[in-house]
Amino acid sequence: MIALEFPPINEILRWKDLVPGFNKISIIAILAAVIAIGLFLAATRQDHNSAPKGSRNLAEAIVEFIENGVVMQTMGRDGLGWTPFLLSLFLFIYLCNVPGIIPFFQMPATARMAIPMFLALLVWVVYNGTGIKHQGFFGYFKSTLFPPGVPKALYILVTPIEFISAIIVRPFSLAVRLFANMLAGHILLVTFALLSEALFQAKDKVLIPVGILPFFMLIFLTSFEVLVAFLQAYIFTILTAVYIGGAAHPEH
Amino acid sequence: MEAIARIAAAAAADPAEAKNTAAAASAGYAYGLAAIGPGIGIGYLVGKAVESMARQPEAAGMVRTTMFLGIAFTEALALIGFVVFILLKFA
Amino acid sequence: MLRAVVTQSGGHVTGVRLVSADVSVVPAAEGEATEVEGTGPNPIAPETKELAWGAGSFLVLLIVMRVFLFPRLKKGMDQRYANIRADIEGADAVKAAARNDVAEYEKALAAVRVEAAAKIDAARAKLDAERAEKLREVNARIAARRNDAEAEAQAARAAARSQISAAVGTVATKATSIAVGKSPDASVVQRAVDAVMEGASR
Repeated sequence: MIALEFPPINEILRWKDLVPGFNKISIIAILAAVIAIGLFLAATRQDHNSAPKGSRNLAEAIVEFIENGVVMQTMGRDGLGWTPFLLSLFLFIYLCNVPGIIPFFQMPATARMAIPMFLALLVWVVYNGTGIKHQGFFGYFKSTLFPPGVPKALYILVTPIEFISAIIVRPFSLAVRLFANMLAGHILLVTFALLSEALFQAKDKVLIPVGILPFFMLIFLTSFEVLVAFLQAYIFTILTAVYIGGAAHPEH
Repeated sequence: MEAIARIAAAAAADPAEAKNTAAAASAGYAYGLAAIGPGIGIGYLVGKAVESMARQPEAAGMVRTTMFLGIAFTEALALIGFVVFILLKFA
Repeated sequence: MLRAVVTQSGGHVTGVRLVSADVSVVPAAEGEATEVEGTGPNPIAPETKELAWGAGSFLVLLIVMRVFLFPRLKKGMDQRYANIRADIEGADAVKAAARNDVAEYEKALAAVRVEAAAKIDAARAKLDAERAEKLREVNARIAARRNDAEAEAQAARAAARSQISAAVGTVATKATSIAVGKSPDASVVQRAVDAVMEGASR
């Protein structure tokens, strides 16, 4: 018999306050902002005329990834003004995701609902604001709720669906997608870590070699989480770009 | 089996325990059922995307972006199932 | 009310303990739920402190990036790309100029070549003409000489012939006069000698 005892979920998700109102999630969020600012600060201090290397190379690669991989694919040339917003979003989410696999942190800050919810609400405000700014208040809601090219009678069906999908489901799914992915990854890592630990320390000596299996799974999942951390940041960013682009130019 | 039956009998007698048992069971069902549709959907989506990339390699970048978008939308359903699982199990 | 606490090991029930429900001893498996309810909020509920710190850090990052860092980086990138583009354009211009020079040089070369060919042709024609002229002169001289020589040879032959015919005439006259005793008429002898010599030379 192995003593596999799964800890209460809040023990693996909630962190004690280091000082009142300041816990590990706060540290990760602040570190994410500081690292991102530090990288770009180091990048801007280099001579911009010579070939970029080190931090500048990295920063420029990220900027070009956002420009070519996100903005140009979804908004086209008009959307290049959104690059700094999307860049901050991408960097912040990525740097909040990645501590999930960094030893001693072992916790993605986005596996708590607070940060994804805040970012999703911010994006919601931003894309609705963009739509209202570009098309006027009534114009925006007209083009969103009454999509052209639909027979008049169908508006009874289409308008509530569009309202729910554009106003409610979008920020909800944006937040839940990021949060649930990171939470699921975190719980998976905890599960396999606990399982291999329990097997390695099993009283029955036969079970000890079996512990290799969940341990390999743990290694595989850790490298998988590297991919997920990047992919979720990318998807969040590209969906933001799609929403903003759709609000600014409804004909696309 | 005997032990499980005894636990179930004992649990059924206690309303709070009965709620916990039902919650745990339905949490499992919720996640399992929520994973079916998106699983099929993502498989189909990625398969089609690979097919079109193989057919038109020059359009691979665009297909990949659209594929990720589609995966994101499809996957959201499974993830909502996962959140429901957490809600049922722990809330 | 009683609750069963079952200890299980390897599929065998090792012990069943009955506890009354009002005692707050609960098995470990169900301990989670009660503990969660006791120790904290719902695991997926956002917490204010995390929200505040996350929002604060993101907004700081966004503002610093938007106002300060990104424009500077982008300016540097644009400047460098502009430099590179200018360099490429400069290189293209230089290449085009070089290509122009090469074309001009080739044009000049072609002109010179044509001129040289014309000169060579003219020289060759002149040489040919001169050679033909000289050849004709030499031929004329040779022909004149040959004519002279032929005339001389003719004259010499005629002279020799007349000498021979005179000698033959003399000899024939003498022989006739010895044989016949009377010298024949000179014109008859002459005619006979001529006829013989005509026949001999034929």
